[in-house]
Amino acid sequence: MKRSENNKRGNGGATPSSRDASGGQSLWADAWGRLKRNRLAMFCLVVVILYTAIALYGEGVYRWHQWRDITPSYHRTNLEAQYMPPSFVRSPFAVEGDGDMTYRERMQTGFRELRRHPLGTDGLGRDVLQRLVQGTRIAYMVGIVTSLIAIPIGVLLGCLAGYFGGRVDDFIVWLYSTFASIPGLLFILAIAMVVGQGLLGVYLGIGLTMWVGLCRLIRGEVIKHKEQPYVTAAYALGLGHFRIIFRHILPNVFHVVLVSFTLFFPAAVGTEVFLSFLGIGVEGEPSWGIMISNARLRLWHGVWWEMAAATAALFFIVLAFNLLGDALRDALDPRLRTGKQ
Amino acid sequence: MLNYVVRRVLQMIPTVFGVILITFILFNVVGGSPALMTLGRHVSPRMLEEFDEVRGFNKPVIAGLWSETRAYEASDFKRHAGPWREVEGVTHHPAVHREPAHIALAPDEVYPVPLAFTPRADTRFRWVVEYRLDPEGDAAWRYDVPVRNGGEPETETHRMRLEPSAHWQRATLPFDAGEQPGELNMRLSVQGAPLEIRSMKLERRADHVLDSQFVFFLKQLARLDLGTSHVTNQPVTRMIRQGIGPSLQLTVPIFFAGLVIAISLSLICAFYRNTLLDRSFVVLAVALMSINYLVWIVVGQYVLAYRWGWFPVWGFETMAYLALPILIGVISGLGRDLRFYRTVMLDEMYREYVRTAFAKGVSRSGVLFKHVLKNAMITVITNVVIAIPFLYTGSLLLESFFGIPGLGYMGIEAINSSDVDVIRAIVLIGAVLYVAANLLTDICYAVVDPRVKLK
Repeated sequence: MKRSENNKRGNGGATPSSRDASGGQSLWADAWGRLKRNRLAMFCLVVVILYTAIALYGEGVYRWHQWRDITPSYHRTNLEAQYMPPSFVRSPFAVEGDGDMTYRERMQTGFRELRRHPLGTDGLGRDVLQRLVQGTRIAYMVGIVTSLIAIPIGVLLGCLAGYFGGRVDDFIVWLYSTFASIPGLLFILAIAMVVGQGLLGVYLGIGLTMWVGLCRLIRGEVIKHKEQPYVTAAYALGLGHFRIIFRHILPNVFHVVLVSFTLFFPAAVGTEVFLSFLGIGVEGEPSWGIMISNARLRLWHGVWWEMAAATAALFFIVLAFNLLGDALRDALDPRLRTGKQ
Repeated sequence: MLNYVVRRVLQMIPTVFGVILITFILFNVVGGSPALMTLGRHVSPRMLEEFDEVRGFNKPVIAGLWSETRAYEASDFKRHAGPWREVEGVTHHPAVHREPAHIALAPDEVYPVPLAFTPRADTRFRWVVEYRLDPEGDAAWRYDVPVRNGGEPETETHRMRLEPSAHWQRATLPFDAGEQPGELNMRLSVQGAPLEIRSMKLERRADHVLDSQFVFFLKQLARLDLGTSHVTNQPVTRMIRQGIGPSLQLTVPIFFAGLVIAISLSLICAFYRNTLLDRSFVVLAVALMSINYLVWIVVGQYVLAYRWGWFPVWGFETMAYLALPILIGVISGLGRDLRFYRTVMLDEMYREYVRTAFAKGVSRSGVLFKHVLKNAMITVITNVVIAIPFLYTGSLLLESFFGIPGLGYMGIEAINSSDVDVIRAIVLIGAVLYVAANLLTDICYAVVDPRVKLK
């Protein structure tokens, strides 16, 4: 079965799948059809969309506070509400009312209290849920900006190397093998350290190291496509090299970019957590790494919810992206299977 | 065979050179001044200069003769009078219309030149000045060079004249700081008309064109000298030698235990492929992969060591201290490895020789362990050899969390204290080991599969 799919996809992206009843579909429609049948992948897609919505909401909240020039509540210290556990482990009966409150009134206030801080508060009395939403915003920024750095570099260099070959290829292969041989995490840390603390260091550190894998993949694909008749035809029509690369070959290898993006994203988010944890990354904003780093010491005093919230948020988005990436890869290109270069 | 090996070794050279170049660019060019990065902004320029002198950072970057010195803070006077702020009789003029920003030195006065410290003796310097001076005026630099005149220390006053010019003009004035250390007492005398200065810098002359930071770095590497840590004041090579032991004690067991477990599980997956067991393993692997490494460590340390008291929490005294980090290391890497090896095994399962083996009646386990495992070994070995260089850096986080004094711990410490030399050394050694491991894999390949050499 695998073999037959290989052959089918072997001659250019435009070949319609013979197995599908509706012939003549585009590669993307074809892939979408295959993806839609995968229920797990669709579920992951929903999760990703949900996270995206949360991140957009977080961005909205952040912008609003900036525009009104007020301290957002996820930054505001409230020492009265320190270390409040999440509401599902809080008791509504814990409220001390004044003596003349009826039982019913006390219950009402108790349950009303539960609506505040549904995920509890941290050591400075800041709402964990709100900080989590802001963490999602930061994670998305990191995932998107690093992809915007890494993908153009990888695609451009990969296309140039694959298409032109010769000296250009030698140079680009040299460049990426050099980058690939530097130990990844230390390289990222070193870049972040040199650039300076803050988000810029995180973006550049992750972005400038992640293009290597994509560049290698694209180069391989372009080399395969270069020999295809449609490229020869385009050349015979007198089209320029760059037009052939970017208008003819690139659309046919673009699925590699998409799959790479879904795998970049969780990796970038995970690395951001790591960097922020080490104190090199984000500063002054509640990212997941900062939350985990803060919660780590409090964990020893039994304050588990901040840690658990950040961990769960991180876990589900990475899991969703990983599974979606796998499904996408299977749907778009069965040849690029897990772990194989 | 020998021919092939030699060719591969030659191919390695550009990559190693590339690694050296990138680390150099990263730390010496992009990073701005390493002295500022490590020592901070609140130390005297003299200390910065000494730091640079030891590490060769006061030389031109790649090649050239002149480099800036910290003795005089170069200024284009765009915002303020720069080093001249404190000097009396100097007025600052911001840019107005077509007149650029400059400072003006009132006539008939001798001004001390604001140097942060006396430039080193025995070195040649030059002033690069953009100035304007009315033809009636006269301006000159004066400085005293200490000379030894028959035992009596004396000074000799030297003079460099600025040619008057009605338009902005650039002049370079070379001078020699003399053979003896001493006060230069550098001053600027202006007569007749005000001297206007648009920009001014003091440059130091290198010994020759290639006396640069890059060559200094290469020379250092050729001596296998990786610099000196500014925090511990120890040579980096010694620190690495001390750190590599604990790192390997941690990473080698993680590596082998992880490998054995992942391969066994992947064989089970291949054996029961497309059953519930296989699929649950795959889901488990992805789930394990998705849990952040950090969380494994923090939660593992808290729950297993602190809460349940099964393992020591922190330190490096006996082997028992390594048990928990090793366990965490194995588990955190298991998901990724299992998925990878499962793909490798399944890839082999669809080969024709497997079908043949089944057809001739070999038992399922016989096929799996005798045929599939043996053939999958090529991929496994590649993966293993490539992973070896990463063993040496240890695990950054595991080591710093559990207080294991290995290279990972050292790396994190160095990053926190901006210890440039240490980080550069660790990055460099890691990269060189990776290149070497790559070479080793290729040679292994060539030994196993003679077709490789033909390409």
